[in-house]
Amino acid sequence: MSWLKKNSVLIPIDFSELAYEAIAPAKEFVDTETALTLIHVLTPLHPADPAAMWNTLDNEQRKEKVREFLAEKLVEMGYQNVKIKVAIGDPSTEIIDCAEEMNADLIVMPSHGRKGVSRFLLGSVAERVVRLSPCPVLILK
Amino acid sequence: MKKIPLRANNSYIYAVLIAIIITVVPRIASAQAESGSVGTGGVEAIFQNIIDVLNVLIYFKIGGENGIPFIVLWLIAGGIFFTLRMGFINIRGFKHAIDVVRGKFDDDEDEGDVSHFQALAAALSGTVGIGNIAGVAIAIRMGGPGAAFWMTVAGFFGMSSKFAECTLGQKFRIIKPDGTVGGGPMYYLSRGLSSIGMSKFGKGLGVLYAISCAIATMGAGNMFQANQAYAAVSNVLPFFENFAWLFGIILIAIVGLVIIGGIERIGSVAGILVPVMAVIYTIACVWVMLVKFTSIPAAIGTIVTSAFNPQAIAGGAIGSIIIGFQRAVFSNEAGIGSAAIAHSAARTDEPVREGIVALLEPFIDTMFICNLTAMVIVLTGVYADPNSIDLDGAQLSAASFETIIGWFPVVIAVAGFLFAISTMISWSYYGQLAWAYLFGDRTVNIYKVLFLLCGFIGTIINLDLVLEFSDIVLLAMSLPNLLGCFLLSGVVAKELNNYMTRLQTGEMLAENEKVREPVLK
Repeated sequence: MSWLKKNSVLIPIDFSELAYEAIAPAKEFVDTETALTLIHVLTPLHPADPAAMWNTLDNEQRKEKVREFLAEKLVEMGYQNVKIKVAIGDPSTEIIDCAEEMNADLIVMPSHGRKGVSRFLLGSVAERVVRLSPCPVLILK
Repeated sequence: MKKIPLRANNSYIYAVLIAIIITVVPRIASAQAESGSVGTGGVEAIFQNIIDVLNVLIYFKIGGENGIPFIVLWLIAGGIFFTLRMGFINIRGFKHAIDVVRGKFDDDEDEGDVSHFQALAAALSGTVGIGNIAGVAIAIRMGGPGAAFWMTVAGFFGMSSKFAECTLGQKFRIIKPDGTVGGGPMYYLSRGLSSIGMSKFGKGLGVLYAISCAIATMGAGNMFQANQAYAAVSNVLPFFENFAWLFGIILIAIVGLVIIGGIERIGSVAGILVPVMAVIYTIACVWVMLVKFTSIPAAIGTIVTSAFNPQAIAGGAIGSIIIGFQRAVFSNEAGIGSAAIAHSAARTDEPVREGIVALLEPFIDTMFICNLTAMVIVLTGVYADPNSIDLDGAQLSAASFETIIGWFPVVIAVAGFLFAISTMISWSYYGQLAWAYLFGDRTVNIYKVLFLLCGFIGTIINLDLVLEFSDIVLLAMSLPNLLGCFLLSGVVAKELNNYMTRLQTGEMLAENEKVREPVLK
């Protein structure tokens, strides 16, 4: 199955258990853990958030904290060399931008996500990623 | 891969907004030209229908036509209950609150985003709005000078409700991986009630709260602000009298630039100017009081006697109480739960401490600032002048000041405009959190567009409608919030006793009193 091996796989993480569970199947596609990259997308702070109002927490600090948090989580799960990226903005847009930037060969993510009204209005992040991704996407069910 | 369709993501909001305005504005403009009055029949009729339904659901009266609306009774009961249950924390916690705000107990090692003072200021920017200028005038116009007395009473009891909800907000907050804090009623209703074995009920209340919050932010913190900012500005710039829609567009463009465009600079400019305006406003009130110094005892007499013996007020003293409490809660948000969102961001490991800081809010907002406005209105006597019977809200306040300081309506217009902007920004934050709680982060742009549209509608329809809608939806938030707080009052009382014991025995020292390692220079 070596023709299936990928050089670079992107795994969007929203801190849900399902998202972390995508790491194991993703690893099947690569030779080394270094070929795996996690990405978490933060929403911008609302200007009236007390932290934004008083400028006590900037975007760089927020990204750094998420990186530390994910690094710890990965060690807990037994992964040593998985890369971590943190972006700020709209999740699907940022995930696709990141995939383009790093020339990802594959995106692996769970299909769960929002339900009800907003799903009807906007669809899930996974749907948008599938539609706009520059590379194959594996949606876990 | 082309990026354009992706990047269009944000601009579609502007497109939708502009499209709606383009279709709506000409109709409003022509309707205004025809009727010559502010507002439009169609929009107002729709709103009247919404209000009628809400009236039946939430605002039903207990005790006949002149009885007390259930929801007002609920808020009064809440304030009295928490004052008694927490052993008059509004009095005994006051000095400690000031010590904490001054930073005596700040510890940078604790989790959270901002200091106690900063959290209080952030909460106040949502609380101190044009309601402090206009709301009091409305109360006095509807309920007579005595309503100001009942506002003060409501502020006093509100301090205890505020203490309870903000303590809970801190206790059941979550610190997210990026360091930001998630707190407020949605969290303490779901997590708090779950901790006392009412998991499902708590979740239900949390959702109910989020729904009422998302709707209510459209009223009091948005339409009402826009409506009264327009009233204050058109008062000094008669040009706008026939161009309410233009004012609406300018206002929502500024707010939109901040909340959608992410131009924080405008927000921070408003944030700096608002305290300045508050100080100028306070000085002006004191000035009026100095000029009318000899009449002050008589004015206080008028306020107190008419509180118990109001004349020509529907429902007598009860009517005055209802109006006073309603306007007070509208202004200080005690029992509504919204302030707990801002307070939960404070850097502390003592939930009670932030709750105690929060009780200053109704004091500053209602017992202090609102009373200043009330004194000015009663002292100048404009409210009782038969020639100014048409004046209400911000325009009545402005006319009152005008009798002493001729140019002051200009200051009220500027202050009102800035207050409205900062309050709208703060409330859009509360509403956005509620929306995200229900529908997730990705759809918040829909909320923002709705928010701006409501702000626009607020400027073009009349005050009575805006007020009726805003009142009902704001008070509705207190149903799930206070119910949860009642159920969790045991938790709060326990925390409070524990805290006070440690404070009094000296176990918990102010940070600067702690023994520190000697620093070598």
